[in-house]
Amino acid sequence: MRSIRARTELAVVLAGLLASGCREELPGPIGAAHGGDPAATPTRGGVLELASFADVRALDPANLSDGLAPQMLEAMFAGLVDYDAEGRIVPDLAERWSMEDEGKTFRFVLKEGVRFHDGEEVTAEDVKRSVERALHPSAPNPFASYFESIAGFADFAAKKAEHLEGVTTSGRYVVTFRLEKPDAIFLPVLGMPVLRPTCRSAGARYSDTWEPCGAGPFKLPTGGWDRGRQLRLVRHEGYHVPGLPRLEGVRWTFHVNPTSQRFKLTRGELDVMRDFLSPDLVAFQADARWKPFGAFESDKQVNGEAMNTEVPPFDNVEVRRAVAAAIDREQLRKVRSTNLHVMTRPVPPSVPGYDPDIPGQTFDLPAALEHMRKAGLAFDPETGRGGWPHPISYVVYKQGLSEGTAQVLAQQLARIGLRLEIRIVNYPTFMAIRGRRHQSAMGPGFWQQDFPDALSFLEPLWSSHAINDEDSNNWSFYKNPRYDELVERARREPAPERRMRLTSEAQRILVDEAPWAFTYGYRFYVQQQPYVRESAPHPVWSAELSHTWLDRAAGPVAARALFGGGARGALASVLEGRPR
Amino acid sequence: MSDRLPRALRRFFRHRAAAVGAAVVLLLVVFALIGPLVSGHAPEASDFARGVGASDLPVGPSATFWLGTDRLFRDVFTRLAVGARISLFIAFGATALATVIGAAVGIVSGWLEGTKVDTVLMRIVDVGLAFPFLLLVMALGAALERTTATTIFLTLGLTGWLGTARIVRAKTMQVRSLDFVVAARALGQSTPGILLRHVLPNVAGPLLVIATISVAQMILAESVLSYLGAGIAPPTPTWGHMLFEGQDYVTVAPWIALAPGLAILLAVLGFNLLGEGLRDAVDPRKD
Repeated sequence: MRSIRARTELAVVLAGLLASGCREELPGPIGAAHGGDPAATPTRGGVLELASFADVRALDPANLSDGLAPQMLEAMFAGLVDYDAEGRIVPDLAERWSMEDEGKTFRFVLKEGVRFHDGEEVTAEDVKRSVERALHPSAPNPFASYFESIAGFADFAAKKAEHLEGVTTSGRYVVTFRLEKPDAIFLPVLGMPVLRPTCRSAGARYSDTWEPCGAGPFKLPTGGWDRGRQLRLVRHEGYHVPGLPRLEGVRWTFHVNPTSQRFKLTRGELDVMRDFLSPDLVAFQADARWKPFGAFESDKQVNGEAMNTEVPPFDNVEVRRAVAAAIDREQLRKVRSTNLHVMTRPVPPSVPGYDPDIPGQTFDLPAALEHMRKAGLAFDPETGRGGWPHPISYVVYKQGLSEGTAQVLAQQLARIGLRLEIRIVNYPTFMAIRGRRHQSAMGPGFWQQDFPDALSFLEPLWSSHAINDEDSNNWSFYKNPRYDELVERARREPAPERRMRLTSEAQRILVDEAPWAFTYGYRFYVQQQPYVRESAPHPVWSAELSHTWLDRAAGPVAARALFGGGARGALASVLEGRPR
Repeated sequence: MSDRLPRALRRFFRHRAAAVGAAVVLLLVVFALIGPLVSGHAPEASDFARGVGASDLPVGPSATFWLGTDRLFRDVFTRLAVGARISLFIAFGATALATVIGAAVGIVSGWLEGTKVDTVLMRIVDVGLAFPFLLLVMALGAALERTTATTIFLTLGLTGWLGTARIVRAKTMQVRSLDFVVAARALGQSTPGILLRHVLPNVAGPLLVIATISVAQMILAESVLSYLGAGIAPPTPTWGHMLFEGQDYVTVAPWIALAPGLAILLAVLGFNLLGEGLRDAVDPRKD
């Protein structure tokens, strides 16, 4: 009986803790030394503390394979060009560049005296070597195809050539890229971390044992990357922009769940937080002390329901139109309204190439039923008769947002006679199934921009070139020659207005033929401590840290917060094995 | 034998913890049977008109939603009741399967003690007991294309008989050497007849106790599987998955996690108390 009593007591204690935890007030942020004075002179020093629930697998521009890596590569590797705070292409290692030969030649002149982290000077030969290293087939580079317009790419990728013919150097500081065809996205793509110059220690070919070394504002000290636990970067004293970076260092801690992050932030152990649970985000946004120091990142994502156009019933365009019209996107948004906003078109509003004049896909149940009728699958909502007679397998990955939205979607599609059978698998299995031909009829589609341009969405997701038997990015296996032609022409078109017309027509086709039913966009919310300065969300990177500085008051700033946090704080302290 | 049953029943009903356990189990069964009928909500239907509160968070307990709504704005009470049906179906089904297999293996092994059959069967049990139970069940669950209540109960039932077999084997070895069994053998009764008429009734008491406690374990195992995402696929409500869905909302909507959490606690407690009462009731030392 003793054990039973003990269990009962435990239940009462837990219930009490939960109840008291619910009533707690959010502790306030830690103030800035200069009270947020915009005229305050930036100070140098301090280590910025960041955290993520995820981990980073590689820190090599030639192996950009996860969502967390770009911001770290941006901190460690400088490129010929970069994106400014508005997402425009600006020179970085290049002093200037010129476009010649009707957009087929780009000539970059490097700044002189720029130093890698190891002290060597960055030269045109380093640029060429790094480009060839990243684009060689021995590198696990998922973005190599973005650079296929460089002359000689096909032979180099097929190992028929030792060097990439289209990349040449003249003298110590001039590097030239010659393209086979004009490529309007060459510069935006070059802004990605993929081709950024690496130290000579990287060698001519990719190796996963290389210690990351570049010419970015922060460098990796010896032992700075404790895989799976943390990444510590320190200031590159030889950085080519005078006075930058201001921080002495940056530290990312990995595998920190959102609840722990929330407590670390309120205790002053984290300076910036991005991974929020929905209820916590509501609390931060509702708190006048925190709200001024929080902001949404720009919307870089499109989410939708990808329908496999090679698999019944979605090989019928009318069924796809029915799905697009049957989805009440406002209901889906409410599943996580803190971060989601309704999207009815394929390109997010903040991405260049977004066209607000395109009529998006909208919720219209009678129209959806009419589309089902046209498809020969008439459904009577009163009797429940008709519709597609078989259950439709809908694969989602475990514990993701789409596990929730899928259940709402299933209710919505049942109203037009489509029965979803939700199947939950782990993430690698999900990706394998989604990218395999004839495997999955329907599932959540999501994509985040690789570079700020509509083609970052239109080309990899719906062009027929992106169809593969395995690992297909075109998850709906959608093929439309007219669409392919528009996308191809847009890629070659240098004139912005003509290019916009081409991408707009391509988007109209997608909205109408609905290989995806577009649903929502996801925006991350970034909460900072008031003392974190010049660290506003960037349109491409989740964090651009070279200008960031800390205006933290002197003394034990975390002391006040240590005694806040209520019962949940106490519980977190106990769980983390930390004295309070 | 004839007056042992009434004595056991008397002991059982005098056992306070057993009575509490029986009441909890009875309430659970009633809740599972009539809960979904009286709530007025469908377990898988989101109510975006009435179930959404301020800041698009779930609404708390009210006259419309007795236990509030969950993160997809579905009625927690209805889902809890349907979850109870599923938990009980899986727990009883898996326990029945595990008990039948465990009893059969235990009786055969105990009867044939020292033979190759006994050795092989017990080594299988040893290997099975040495293997982490949850890992085994999760691996089986992952191997299946789609997990349903039936596949979960089969998985739990087919892996949950090992302990039962061990205990029944020991009890069979004890019974085998008793006088009435020796007499039956001397009179030429067939082995299956002896096992069914003499051995099985004598191991039935412990078997009943094990089965009752096993129901609690199966409820817990199903909840753990669902919590870890290896259980029945949504939108079918299960207590474990409801608990998982509620954990992120514990600060603003504690009812989502508290309801399935307390349900699991009460159900496990109820079956454990019932098992303890039965153990005391059938204990021959108390005769």
